[in-house]
Amino acid sequence: MRIENHPIIKNFEKGRRVLFEFDGKTLEGYEGEPIAIALKANGVMVHRHTSNHGEPRGVFCAIGRCTDCAMIVDGKNNIRTCITPLKENMRVETQYGTLNRKETESI
Amino acid sequence: MKRYELIVIGAGPAGLSAAIEAASHGMPVIVFDENPRPGGQLFKQIHKFFGSKEHRAKERGFRIGRQLLEEARRMGVEVMLQATVLGIYDGKEVSVMRDGQVEHFKANNIIIATGASEKMVPFSGWTLPGVIGAGAAQTMMNLHGLKPGNKVLMVGSGNVGVVVGYQLMQAGCKIEAVIDGAPRVGGYGVHAAKLARLGVPFYLSHTIKEAKGKICVEGATIVKVDSTWQAIPGSEKVLDVDTICIAVGLSPMSQLARTAHCDMENNAGKGGLVSICNEYGETSTPGVYAVGDVAGIEEASSAMIQGKIAGVAVSHSRGYLDTADFNNQVAQHQRSLKQLRQGMFGHREKGQNDPTQTEEGYPLSRTLLERGYLAEEELQNYPGVRFQKGQGVRPVVECTQNIPCNPCQDACKRGCITVSGKITNLPAVDEAVECTGCGMCVVSCPGQAIFLVDDTLAPGYSGVSIPYEFSPLPAEGSKGLALDRSGRVLGEVEVTTVKQSRVMDETAILTMKVPGDWSMKVRSFQPY
Repeated sequence: MRIENHPIIKNFEKGRRVLFEFDGKTLEGYEGEPIAIALKANGVMVHRHTSNHGEPRGVFCAIGRCTDCAMIVDGKNNIRTCITPLKENMRVETQYGTLNRKETESI
Repeated sequence: MKRYELIVIGAGPAGLSAAIEAASHGMPVIVFDENPRPGGQLFKQIHKFFGSKEHRAKERGFRIGRQLLEEARRMGVEVMLQATVLGIYDGKEVSVMRDGQVEHFKANNIIIATGASEKMVPFSGWTLPGVIGAGAAQTMMNLHGLKPGNKVLMVGSGNVGVVVGYQLMQAGCKIEAVIDGAPRVGGYGVHAAKLARLGVPFYLSHTIKEAKGKICVEGATIVKVDSTWQAIPGSEKVLDVDTICIAVGLSPMSQLARTAHCDMENNAGKGGLVSICNEYGETSTPGVYAVGDVAGIEEASSAMIQGKIAGVAVSHSRGYLDTADFNNQVAQHQRSLKQLRQGMFGHREKGQNDPTQTEEGYPLSRTLLERGYLAEEELQNYPGVRFQKGQGVRPVVECTQNIPCNPCQDACKRGCITVSGKITNLPAVDEAVECTGCGMCVVSCPGQAIFLVDDTLAPGYSGVSIPYEFSPLPAEGSKGLALDRSGRVLGEVEVTTVKQSRVMDETAILTMKVPGDWSMKVRSFQPY
């Protein structure tokens, strides 16, 4: 999904390559890019499931307005991943309602 | 509480222009923006802008963004990022949230330049991951270098839809279709034509019925609508797409103007709820201005001029600019703004009528409006197409709508192309002026609507030169497919020359050797 050779933009400013954790798996991304971009580059489409119907949601506006891309980041829920920069070893979890999977299963 | 002469809200094209203007007259200015980077949407605009030289036409949006930031820095404009303005209160007090803390500021003048948000269209499955706004697509691919998807359906044929559609193809995505509920293409015909000649089908009078898929988009069903916008049963079509991109318009983000008690109006021509402003952009609340998309949806070029006018006005009102200079500068900016607002896509005309001819009386192409490309037999109707056999290399200007734009005229040093009278008039080619084939008109046209045709290239063969903005660039001598305006494959051709230089700003000129009778047919190249 990363654009290798763009006709107009000769280089996309990126930080160094870092590892982060997504639902227990180790993924790679660029430091400082939005978490949502790093996830999409790894093929992750679903960021959360709605609380009442469990419907999947992902990136929609990509500028921090719609909140569809909210996830649990380093234990904190409702983080808009499209405007939150990726850091090394960040722990990103799919959000179920407002909880993570483990918390949902224990209810 | 910190006090400023001027607070600007929003560091996009309108806000930055206002701040730079005011600061240039000596006003202490601060700009608040909620984003981590300044520039608004300019850094996502990788296409060449329309207009004239004074509107920075034929420059790409992101380069204009860089220039604005540089000017702001030079003028000493203070820009505070990740600073969300929560409200404007009595006495021009502004509350700003940063790092979860609320701070208060006061100003003698406030310029609201918060821009717009995207409109959406709800349909079955519209919340599925893979349904995205056109702005999201631009953010992903043009800022972060990530393809939004592989196979995309574009919903909406306005300028955002067709411009972003082309940018998606530049990023390496395939556009399966552009659809629009309206019976005609909403954006500039030249933008639509860039997609059509790459083989993208336009389905007008079509809307989206459903996004298919369980956990993300796996397809889309579109359906034809009748003249009352009702779906026609049985006309459904299923498209194999993984991404659905929504480009159905913008609405002004005017909430802050309401908190400042500005008189508001619902104005369909301006895209929704806007504050009522005078000629300088001042609202009914004295000292509070609204400029750019928040005052009515237009585009970045007019937003920048509106910003300058408000910047001049606040400078004058606070005594930083004398009345004579104020009058002169406002008059100059308003002339410039008026130019951009002319034509069939202008401010007042938007969506209001369905013209059948240009202002000069040339017939408008129906195929362009209904299918996104010009039919070959329509070409002779236009003053930019004066091609005669045996003349050698000539420009063919396929510009057929009243758009405020004239870089082609400046590009030709010999005066072969003229846009006489209004800036929206169609460019005319002067048959008497010899063409050197330099190609500067080809690369200067923001609509990529100028081609060079040379029917004396070799016996039985013509040279057709086209603007080309895809990667990788074909090599000289390589072969590929020649396509006509509708994207239909005509056959194999050889690329004879590839021109690229710094002044062409990433638009290359590809010259193909084609059979003589294809010279007015071939308008696109697809490498193997």
